[in-house]
Amino acid sequence: MAKTGVQRRGILGGLVLLSIASGLYLGLVQAPPDAYQGELQRIMYLHVPSILTAYLSFLIVFVASCLFLWKRERRDDILAHSAAEIGVLFTGLTIIEGSIWGKSAWGVWWTWDARLTLTAMLFLIFIGYLMLRALIEDKMRAGICGAVLGILGFLDIPLIHLSVYWWRTLHQPPSVLRPDKAPWENVHPSMLLALSANMVAFLLLYFYLLSRRVRIAEMEDELEKTKLYGVT
Amino acid sequence: MRAWGFVFLTYGLVWSAILVYVLRLWRKYRRIKTELALYQREAHRNSSEERV
Repeated sequence: MAKTGVQRRGILGGLVLLSIASGLYLGLVQAPPDAYQGELQRIMYLHVPSILTAYLSFLIVFVASCLFLWKRERRDDILAHSAAEIGVLFTGLTIIEGSIWGKSAWGVWWTWDARLTLTAMLFLIFIGYLMLRALIEDKMRAGICGAVLGILGFLDIPLIHLSVYWWRTLHQPPSVLRPDKAPWENVHPSMLLALSANMVAFLLLYFYLLSRRVRIAEMEDELEKTKLYGVT
Repeated sequence: MRAWGFVFLTYGLVWSAILVYVLRLWRKYRRIKTELALYQREAHRNSSEERV
């Protein structure tokens, strides 16, 4: 049974490497430069998948946190904690990518635009989530406090997504997740292919990282039990 | 050429950060696995000594 899990993670790891390689090739070589942004647009092949992966991660935090508050099962708490950690990584990467792109396109590393500010808030909320969990020793209490903060933190995501419609922002409206147009109507097929390949690579990478992170947390629990009670 | 510099900087930073995180997870996994095996061996020995 354990061997099957290891094999599954091995296969997933192989798929991750393959998809990253194809994403890099399509994003850096195959896709044409943008008519307005030129080569700089290639940053979007990382920027868009990063933030969408972060959104997915915090959605998992939200669902797992609700389940934990309802059923109080440790596995839901482990899933929420693991997803939050990886979500923070991808949000941090999104901010770095956006900042580098902004320096070249807007002339500044950072501006207090609504979407940027709300994304920074999301990052800080979940940094706070990880700190809170690290500070509380009792696992059940840490889980409950974390779940409440995780649910509240997730509510920032609809605000981030809609901020470009609600306020006059420097950040452009979405090109892929638009309510009025399908992605293929808005993005050139060769660019959409590169974006899709990178999206798949990020999703596979995300599930690989999540499975490893969850396994580590389970093993930590097992170790703690062994230390306390010996082999059961 | 300047745009490529920004592109490579971004790709370099992103994949390096992900690699560092993956390595950190691997190291933690190996450490816990070793520690768990050690404690389980010790607990088995203790329980068999108690039976004797």
